[in-house]
Amino acid sequence: MTTSLMINGEERSLTCDPRTPLVDVLRNELRLTGTRNVCREGYCGACSVHVDGKPMSSCLLPVGTLEGRDIVTIEGISQGDKLDVIQQAFIDLDVIQCGMCFPGMVMTLRPFLRDNPSPSRDAVKFALVGNVCRCTGYERIIDAVMSVVDATEVTE
Amino acid sequence: MSDQSFADKAVMDFPRRDAHDKVTGRTRFTVDIGGSEVLHAALLRSDHASARIIKLDVEPARKMPGVRAIATGSDVPGRYGIGIADYTLLAKDVVRYHGEPIAAIAADTLEQARAALDAIELELEPLPASLTMADSLAENATLVHPDWQDYEVLFEGGVRGGNIAWEATVERGDTDAAFAREDVTIVEGFYEVGRQSHVPFEPRAAVASFEDGRYHIHASTQVPWTVRTVTARVLGVPESHVRVTVPTVGGGFGLKFDASIEPCAAVLARMTGRPVSIINSRREEQMTCLSRENAEIRIRSAVTSEGEIVGREATVLMDCGAYGGEQVFLTTMTTHTLGGNYKLGAVRICSRAVYTNTPPNGAFRACNGVYNTFALERHTDEIADAIGMDRMEFRRRHVLGDQDISATGQVYDGDVLAPMLERMEVLRAKSGSRKDLAGNRFYGEATTVGTWLIFVGPSAATVNLNYDGSATLVTTGVELGQGTMMQALPQIVAANLGIAPEDVIVKTADTDAAGRDLGVGGGRTTVSIGAASEAACTVVRDKLLGVASEILQTPKKDLVLARGRIEIKGRPGSGTTIQQVVAEAESRFGPISGSGSFTTPPFECMPGCTAGHFIDAIEPVFAVHNCELAIDPDTGKVDILAYRVVQDVGRALNPRAIHGQIQGGVVQGFGYALHEEITINETGAFDQTGFENYLLPLATDSIPVEFDLYEGAPAVGPFGTKGAGEIPILNVAAAIGCAVANATGKQVSSMPLTPPKIAALIDDCNPPLQHDHISPVWSENTIERK
Ligand code: FES
Ligand code: FES
Repeated sequence: MTTSLMINGEERSLTCDPRTPLVDVLRNELRLTGTRNVCREGYCGACSVHVDGKPMSSCLLPVGTLEGRDIVTIEGISQGDKLDVIQQAFIDLDVIQCGMCFPGMVMTLRPFLRDNPSPSRDAVKFALVGNVCRCTGYERIIDAVMSVVDATEVTE
Repeated sequence: MSDQSFADKAVMDFPRRDAHDKVTGRTRFTVDIGGSEVLHAALLRSDHASARIIKLDVEPARKMPGVRAIATGSDVPGRYGIGIADYTLLAKDVVRYHGEPIAAIAADTLEQARAALDAIELELEPLPASLTMADSLAENATLVHPDWQDYEVLFEGGVRGGNIAWEATVERGDTDAAFAREDVTIVEGFYEVGRQSHVPFEPRAAVASFEDGRYHIHASTQVPWTVRTVTARVLGVPESHVRVTVPTVGGGFGLKFDASIEPCAAVLARMTGRPVSIINSRREEQMTCLSRENAEIRIRSAVTSEGEIVGREATVLMDCGAYGGEQVFLTTMTTHTLGGNYKLGAVRICSRAVYTNTPPNGAFRACNGVYNTFALERHTDEIADAIGMDRMEFRRRHVLGDQDISATGQVYDGDVLAPMLERMEVLRAKSGSRKDLAGNRFYGEATTVGTWLIFVGPSAATVNLNYDGSATLVTTGVELGQGTMMQALPQIVAANLGIAPEDVIVKTADTDAAGRDLGVGGGRTTVSIGAASEAACTVVRDKLLGVASEILQTPKKDLVLARGRIEIKGRPGSGTTIQQVVAEAESRFGPISGSGSFTTPPFECMPGCTAGHFIDAIEPVFAVHNCELAIDPDTGKVDILAYRVVQDVGRALNPRAIHGQIQGGVVQGFGYALHEEITINETGAFDQTGFENYLLPLATDSIPVEFDLYEGAPAVGPFGTKGAGEIPILNVAAAIGCAVANATGKQVSSMPLTPPKIAALIDDCNPPLQHDHISPVWSENTIERK
């Protein structure tokens, strides 16, 4: 069976078992390995992608259900050297450790900050309950988010 | 010891160069190595805790689609281990734990490999199983290794017997006499803790190939040299036939401090002539995690009314699971952790690694120290209460200080813990009590101390000074996420050579390129690899200055290296560039490079007081933690209101990175103390098989940790540094356990403190701990005296 969908702005036709989780197709067929495969149960958020602009866990998405949808992965977020502000903030504040969870963090936070331009610290934490990080203990990630939020407020 | 003036040149807070690729998803971990040429392997695992293999017929599986090779126990015959070679890679004749691998299949796809596993004809005949340490220590207990006496001993000195894989003891002074004194109060405590699973986001993984007659393994490991040694042992080939390289590792926390699946990938690669990838599924990773071990602890102390601990004895049982592994080594650690913190008169401690038919345990960040610190600090509070002394006052008076002796009789240099306790008071005063936030809930607070050590051991480094004035550092250090390879090491090399850290290239680990190294763990990388790197830089600098001295007609001692130039002291701009000196050196004798090495410094203990120890004397590292928390009296749920850390860092080369380690380590400790629980069911398997029921801390469970970095304690590391990544988790369970005891007024003696356990504690429904298999007579818990 063939599924046609957009991935990072390119039209792709995928011929595989329609039950295959999207994360496996991205990683194994398309070699887009930035989408991480960690818990495969929908809890960790490391496999987050955007489906029609909404963050979703790609380990829970059978490819056959995605006909005609618009998928963006972490590889589709930054254009060349130009990073998203939140990616830049993670680098500038030196918050990254092993880095496995960070693509998923970016995929969750980008739409969250678009919809909530000036969230409280607690609101950011709640937004991240579906993104587990084993290394950092979160607070410096939140610091980085708040640094972007504050900056946005200043420019507005 | 380093020249302090170099330290002043170190670029502080050097950013990590792997950040960009990590945040854009470009970093390739071992699990990301792929391509159509790579075969995928899956492992057949036991679903019994203890059984005889009656039948293992792999022939039907060979006919399955896509199958390229199958390995069983006879393909990987050699035994390996730490201290004793008791480990088999693939089970032969018997299985000893649920999840033990029996066969490995390589196929074109992972699905095909998994499907083929089902075609293997396996018959297991159940045997009696010892699932707990109490089972294993019972009279007439089933032996997990009936042939234990035949195993090769890899490290002499341990006492072993039956289900005791290893026993380490320390005895200093006359403990019986101390307990017999008329003027002492005797305080006794029992404690027990469960396992903790590391859950690195990248599971254990390896991709192996067989190239030019040698094995090449890309492994997600902390110990490339151990993987090399173990692979050679189990395959029965010379170690020189194995090459291990390590891409970026997605977290380790100690789980990857031992070899596991790598040799399986290697043998399948030889059989097929193709690269073979083995990646543990999350379920396999959880079910066979080399966890932080469960442990049972008894401590007894004789204390004067002033709080002087004139006698202390302890027995610590550590569950090593079905094979000895890391616990054999960790028996040593009890002496330094449980035997740490306080001045002791006479002391005797016995630490035993006990075989059970459960998944083998391993090393986990501040391994052994975390629970022994919990037990010791709870016991300390009970001592203070028993003699009617304030708990803080007791600690202020009795923590180890300058010229005090450790449990093994080593003389410690410097007053560190007492001033750290003072710094904690300052930190606490600065941020103020959070008691208000508790509202109607129970409120508790505690301050605890902890002793850890720097694992030293061998490291090697080579520095090549390149034609362009940059330097390449070659070691077998591994970047796990801790940042050492990205930050501390380039900072150290740069400061030593007077170049920018951006101009230091750090080669990823390759056992073909660098000398042997014990591995990345225990907070040793900055210290050991850092010191080896510094030694290599000394050689390079010497050659460089030799040539420069001739060019500039100035004695070496009057030359300084800075900003990529060699200047005559006090006359900036007078000299020449490093690049020009390198060019000159090349024309005279060739490129400039240097090698250096490091190993355990000669710390000394009191001779004759230890048995079965791998390390008798240490460089201590200390931590003081403070916790304020609130407990919901109905649900037993704990909220951490404040968490404060004063950490002995020697010297902070990268305070931002250390902050990251403290925040991350403390939150991992929250999980250990409060909700990361592993239970073992009657089949010998873990009930917690994934993220759904193994509860990791979430963003909403963390709070910002307040911290103060204590600098200036004696340290052997470059520029006086100490490892900072291991210790942040050390006293978290202790601080939380003591704060819960403080809040509830109850005895807290076990971990984790899940809400049901705390609710039962409040209602006095928890039965007191009973460890009938630990004798009240200390010597009856040791093998040699029985
Ligand atoms: S891998 Fe999809 S949520 Fe964890
Ligand atoms: S940085 Fe390692 S899991 Fe988040």
